[in-house]
Order: sequence, then C-alpha cells, then structure tokens
Amino acid sequence: MGKEELKELLNKLPDVTTEPVPQRLGEDIKRQIPHRLSPHRVGMDTINIIIDLRINKLAAAAAIIITIVFCATFLGGRDSAGGNVLQDSMLLIKYWGAPDTSDISAGRARYEHLLGRGEDVVWYGDRLDPKDSGAVLMQRTLPDGKYEVMFVDGREKQVTAEELIQLLTRMLQKKTK
Amino acid sequence: MTSKKANLAEQDFDSAHLINKLRELNKLKENSEQRQDSLARRLRAGDRTAASELVDIYYKQIYLFMRRLGHDRQVSEDLTQESFLNAWHHIGQLRDGKSLNGWLYRIAGNVSKLYWRKHKGRKTADLEGFDVPDSTNAQYDKVERNEQLEQLKNAVTRLPVKLRQTIVLHYIQQLTIAESADAAGVREGTFKSRLNRALNALRKQVT
Repeated sequence: MGKEELKELLNKLPDVTTEPVPQRLGEDIKRQIPHRLSPHRVGMDTINIIIDLRINKLAAAAAIIITIVFCATFLGGRDSAGGNVLQDSMLLIKYWGAPDTSDISAGRARYEHLLGRGEDVVWYGDRLDPKDSGAVLMQRTLPDGKYEVMFVDGREKQVTAEELIQLLTRMLQKKTK
Repeated sequence: MTSKKANLAEQDFDSAHLINKLRELNKLKENSEQRQDSLARRLRAGDRTAASELVDIYYKQIYLFMRRLGHDRQVSEDLTQESFLNAWHHIGQLRDGKSLNGWLYRIAGNVSKLYWRKHKGRKTADLEGFDVPDSTNAQYDKVERNEQLEQLKNAVTRLPVKLRQTIVLHYIQQLTIAESADAAGVREGTFKSRLNRALNALRKQVT
C-alpha cells in the first residue's frame, strides 16, 4: 500500500475507533476538582519539603520556646534585668535539665550567669551534701535586702537574712554529723 | 467574448469566495487560540470554573485516547480520572494556550505508561473492540475499504507501544506534529522519525 493511501486510511481511523463515553465520567471528574488549584510550577527546578516531626509535647514546647527566644534575640530583645534573652534561654534550658544534667550543674550554670551579670551571688554547691534536698545551692541578694535561695532539688525561695542564717546553719550541722 | 467574460467573472467570484472562506477560517482559528490562551491563563490563576471547562472540552478525548492506547473501558475511565487529578497538581507546568493539548496528553500518556508498567502481564484491549460502521448495504468498494480499515486497526494494535502512541496521537487524536511531540515528551525530529517507522511497519501489514 502506498504511503499516501495509508495516510488517507489512517485519517479515517478516528471515526471507526470511537464509542459513546459515559456521561457521568465528566461529572465524576468535576467533583474531584480541588478547592484550591495549585499554580506552583512543579518540575526539575522544584523540590517538595515535607517534614513529619514526631516528638513529645515537652520537646515540642521547648522547640517553640527556643524559636521564639531565638527570634526575639535577633530582633534585639532583652530581658527585664538587661540581660540577653538568648543567654537566659540557654540557662533556662540548662535549668530545665537535659536527662544527663543534674540540678547542681544547672544551678552552677545559673550562678555563673548571674555572676556574669554582676549580681551578688554566693555558691555553696561545692560544700553541700547532694542527698540533702533542703541544702542551699546558692544565694542571691535581692535589691530589697532579702535573699533568693536555690535548693539542691531545684526549688527557689525568697528568705530574710535570719531565715538564710538558719538554713545555712542547719546545712552545716547536717554535714558535721 | 461574452462567455470569456462570464468565465473571468466566475473565476473572480471563486477567488473572492475562497479568500473570504480563508479569512473566516483564520478568524475561527484566532478565536480558538484566544479561547485556549484565556483558559490556560485562568487555570494558572487557580480558577475552578476554568478547570470545569477543561473537563468539558477534554474528558471524552482523553477517555478515547486511553481506549485507543489499549485499555479496557473500566480502566480507561479510571485512568481518565487519574489524568485530570494529575493535571490539577501540575497546572504550574502549563505555559500558554498553545501548549494545552500537549500538556494534557503528556499527563495522560504518562498515566497510561505507568499503568502498563504496573500491570506488565496485562493484555491490551484491541482497537477491534470498537464497532466498525455497518457495511451490509454498502457498495463493494466501501466493503473493501472497511476490510482495509479492519486490517489497519489490527496492525495499529500490534505496533510496539511507542509507535502505537505516535499513530494514536497524530492520526487518531489528530494533534499536530508539535503537539504530539510535546505529548510524547520527545523532540519533533524524534517524533517524525518514530512516525515514519510506524508508517513503514503499517504499510507492510495492510494490503
């Protein structure tokens, strides 16, 4: 068969290779049109970033707080005492404690931070009994003449000068026993 | 002399008539291009009404394209739906109205190709599945023509997938060479070469 004759015959194929198309097909397809059609070009120059994070609530909360603090720092945020928000947040993270960080080392970090800020702080961590939950880890002098004490178990309390003396005396007595 | 003048007048009339017809055709073509451009622009802007229009214009074509590529009725319906679903996710790839045909057929062609890849053992539904127009009352040459058409359909069915797709796109779906090449995802030169190979293969099989 000649090429032209074949082409002529091929042009007839659309008519003999047709059949009724189900009407509902069009309606079915229309129902699947998404409410928001994506105009973004998807091709070789596009990458899809899909992040599926599965972390516990505490870690998620920490991540959010760190992000906020990080952003605040970059925006020049400073805390009420004039310290850097980022430093405070690092201290906060240490203070909350990673699983392998003890309260004492967290307290030490906080002490160093406060010391660096020029606060009047005293560290007792080197001389106490870690098993004594009531032992005072450090003291900080507050502007109103009172003291803020931090205990080994992480508790904090504002005390007067007399109360502080009592706490330190009790701690000393326990240690000498 | 009078008859000569009449002939000339008739020729003038024919030429004018032809020119008018050409102008009308050009106008129709321009209108159609403008409509396609507008449709493509609206699709890119995320217009759902345009998406609905696209379905109205193309769903029958895409269904028949699937059938002609050898899928049975049910699979063709499923693949047509899948093609449109893919289209909604790839609207960003649509450049303009001219590329509308190539874009949609390329998506449909890829959907079909993936189906064949997943169902390697599956037999293709022959083009024979379609009804040939009844020829019982036709004249002898028409009967002979129908026999040739029957032979041609069978021959197209037997072609390798790529050559078969070439014939289906250009001759049966009636896309231009440029659109067909775009739909097949190859350069025009490659498409023409495939088309030539397909025609040679068919010539040997149809007498």
